[in-house]
Amino acid sequence: MFFKSGKKNGFEGGGLVLFDSVEEAMSGERALKADGVENRLVAPPPELRRGCDLALEINLVEKPAVERMLRSRQVPFIDILPMKGDAELLQVVQVTDFGEAVMVKAGNMKLTFDKATGVVLNISGGGCPDIPYLHAEMLAKPLDRAPRPKEMGHTLCSLMLDRAYMQSLEIWKNGDR
Amino acid sequence: MLLICGTAPRKDLPLTEGEASLRGDTLRIGGAAVPCTQGTAALVSAACKTLEYLNQPPPRVLLVGDDGSGKGSRLLYDHLIANLPRLAPRVVVLHYMLPVMGLMRKVSESASKAPQRPFMIADAAAMYAAKAAGIARDFDLFTPDLSELAFLADPQASHPAYVSRHLFESDSTRIPELVAAAYANGSAARTLVVKGATDHIAQGGKIVDRVSEPNIPALEAIGGTGDTISGMVGAFVHGGFDEVTAARVTIRANRMAGLYAGATPATRIWQVIEVLPRVFADHLKDWARQAGDANMERSTS
Repeated sequence: MFFKSGKKNGFEGGGLVLFDSVEEAMSGERALKADGVENRLVAPPPELRRGCDLALEINLVEKPAVERMLRSRQVPFIDILPMKGDAELLQVVQVTDFGEAVMVKAGNMKLTFDKATGVVLNISGGGCPDIPYLHAEMLAKPLDRAPRPKEMGHTLCSLMLDRAYMQSLEIWKNGDR
Repeated sequence: MLLICGTAPRKDLPLTEGEASLRGDTLRIGGAAVPCTQGTAALVSAACKTLEYLNQPPPRVLLVGDDGSGKGSRLLYDHLIANLPRLAPRVVVLHYMLPVMGLMRKVSESASKAPQRPFMIADAAAMYAAKAAGIARDFDLFTPDLSELAFLADPQASHPAYVSRHLFESDSTRIPELVAAAYANGSAARTLVVKGATDHIAQGGKIVDRVSEPNIPALEAIGGTGDTISGMVGAFVHGGFDEVTAARVTIRANRMAGLYAGATPATRIWQVIEVLPRVFADHLKDWARQAGDANMERSTS
């Protein structure tokens, strides 16, 4: 049984795009709407205000997709920040050596590759819908020929996977091959 | 009805509803064929094997293609908001979907309009959305790993990528502390199944059981070994097990399946799922009895 599209529902974001000028904020709103990304113009809270008095509220989870869209439409912005909590993405990376394979963990994402060949053996963790998609695209490919998660992904999970990927690439390139 | 809702890594799959069946490494849902890989497909596959063993009808599945853009996820949210009361499932498992706080809140409200509110399980980004929307307490069961537990314990974070460093770097010895924090700030479901080197089951802010054997470290690397836990626990609850017993037998079965499959970091999730019937046949009765005995001890102590 198949269904057609339903109606659009309410929006609650959690992320802010900050701009230098009101004109850039308005351009950003138009650019994201043209790409079908939900957003709304808001006044940033004083503790986050940088640049002008107008910002865009977006779904924070979509930060990588929003950055890519704004850049592709040449709309300058200062930063994309969470509206509450830590402003910095997790930088911590943990490495587990399985002998013939290495697992690199960044945030909630884990990438495991074969030490000798660099082939991606598994990707685990995460919860956003681009992760199964990236899993399918990257699995069984050598790290240096696999697509970069940051370039294909849309969500914060893909950013964490990108961290794990870049660290994996560095470990593999610096290891015995 | 056990209703499983999530996304598949295909751009061309419309919102599809149907009973699921698993043949080899391919899942069939309402005419669509989906490979049994990491994500909702692994969850559905594990639920299929479990329900089949329990002589229960197969799970009903709502699956939509989404490459991360969220377009498919929004169709799924809209459909659930409009139809959950009519579907009236006994158990709902919400899984991979773009976390959208406002829509998840509406899904939960819609579930409450069913003749009887379903037993609500959330994993993956559905759990992120429920926590970020402040409605975690409306859910019956979450299945976080350690990094996701740190996210639940962080009252400010709206995604695991923004968890406070001091919480993220917590090792497994701090799980009771993180569990207590998650419950204290209203970010936990009634039951938590915390997946890790040692699995923990928690209720009311306290750990009620731990399972650490057999120890198969490679399971952490295999994409889908958390998804199988959510699928099995949903199936066992649907099969009549109380949630703590369901959680106990599920995490034991997942570990034992890793052992039976000879899991390595290169093992694919369908190879773990395909041994589940043997694991159930060899162990389920004993585990259920032991879990029942443990429940009895808890209730009388």
